[in-house]
Amino acid sequence: MPHLKTAYAKYQHDPRVAFVLVSIDEDGKRLQRYLNEMRFPFPVARMTPADAQRVMRIDNTPTTFYVGADGIVRYQVVGTEPHGDSPARVGWYLDQISR
Amino acid sequence: MKTVLVAGLTAITLAQSTARGDLARGAALWDERLSKSAIAALESAARDPATAAAAHEALGRLYAFKGWQQEGVFPGWHDEPAVRERAIAELKASLAADPNRASAQDALRMVESFAAAEAVDPAPPRPEVRALDATLQSSATTASSAADVVAAVEARAKAQADPSPYFTGAQILIDRGDYDRAIALAECGAAASDRFIDENLSAYQLPGKSQGAYARGRGAAADLVGWALFQKKDYAGAAAKLEEAERLAQSGDLTIEFHLGELARARNDPASARDHFLTALSAAGGPAPLRQRITQALASVSGHAAGSDFDAWLDAELTRRREERRTAALASLVDRPLPRLPLTTVDGRPFDTAPLRGKILLLNFFASW
Repeated sequence: MPHLKTAYAKYQHDPRVAFVLVSIDEDGKRLQRYLNEMRFPFPVARMTPADAQRVMRIDNTPTTFYVGADGIVRYQVVGTEPHGDSPARVGWYLDQISR
Repeated sequence: MKTVLVAGLTAITLAQSTARGDLARGAALWDERLSKSAIAALESAARDPATAAAAHEALGRLYAFKGWQQEGVFPGWHDEPAVRERAIAELKASLAADPNRASAQDALRMVESFAAAEAVDPAPPRPEVRALDATLQSSATTASSAADVVAAVEARAKAQADPSPYFTGAQILIDRGDYDRAIALAECGAAASDRFIDENLSAYQLPGKSQGAYARGRGAAADLVGWALFQKKDYAGAAAKLEEAERLAQSGDLTIEFHLGELARARNDPASARDHFLTALSAAGGPAPLRQRITQALASVSGHAAGSDFDAWLDAELTRRREERRTAALASLVDRPLPRLPLTTVDGRPFDTAPLRGKILLLNFFASW
């Protein structure tokens, strides 16, 4: 997840782009410890694993959705990508959508 | 006698009032765009000579709309070419019932000119473009120089602005070992593809569709550049471009997966090569010689002896992958609207998603365990 913080640096002043993390942790204390440690600069929300499976059809974490300004899901990336989680990849997806 | 006459007159008057009622009802139903009910009422009115001319004309106009004009008027509405002949026939029937009906004459003239417009030959490709395509194709086999190939590409691109000649030319130059020129042509192709879509944007009204069209053009270019870099043994550069092509294609594309497989094989990663070759073969289509080549490449990294052992393994793997692709495609949210999200804040209060509306959104689902 640290790669998202790095990627966010490029977009934090762009009003067209928003980052949201959604935790499907069931253990709230453990999640809070993790968030204290990570100090994400963007909002973090929670969803139950059952809702995540039902609504977003998520079978694996992490899963990242890239959504257009029109509300249409453009990319769905499951798992950590090969060759490390590069912030450049995150930027690539966002740039494809914002073109 | 008198009674019979009166009864007969009453019957005629009743029939006419029913027919007029049907005609008015049919027109009102069509105003509401309830076409099946409107057609039923108008067909009933068309059977009575007193209302036949008006009813046939209304039917003719209705079918003219359905046949030529209803494309996209409401979501899911498309032209129905099958009813075009009906439109002409109904308007002719209207004029048969009343040859002096001016509004039906107007409508028939309009509909006949619609029908005439269909007979106009579709413009592209012009013979000139076909000839230039043929010249480009033949430069693959004739003893022409690389400069001749580039000149053939440019002549063809000048005649018609779509990006295909750049991609064809880049492939020809790769086959001839002229990788740098191939890369330059592929990159021109990516720019030409974007420009061509921008110019013709009305043909790609849906945002998802134009996105897909841009991605296909850029993906084709990235694949060619990556394949040229692979031939130059620049494996890191090839990996970056081919992986970009793979992301742009969004699903296993036969050629791109073959190229990624060859790259993995060259980098001594048989497991990854096997995976890419299998993804390639589980995609439908592709020219038979290419599928043959991929199968042979796969055999060399499969760990199975050639023959029935390999064939059985391949068959089982492909079946499994097709099933996986089908399941993934059904489950994927790509190209669908983001559902309403039942989110809470970390401390359990409702999470307000309103500020996210209208934004490009990165939504990362994770678990801290």
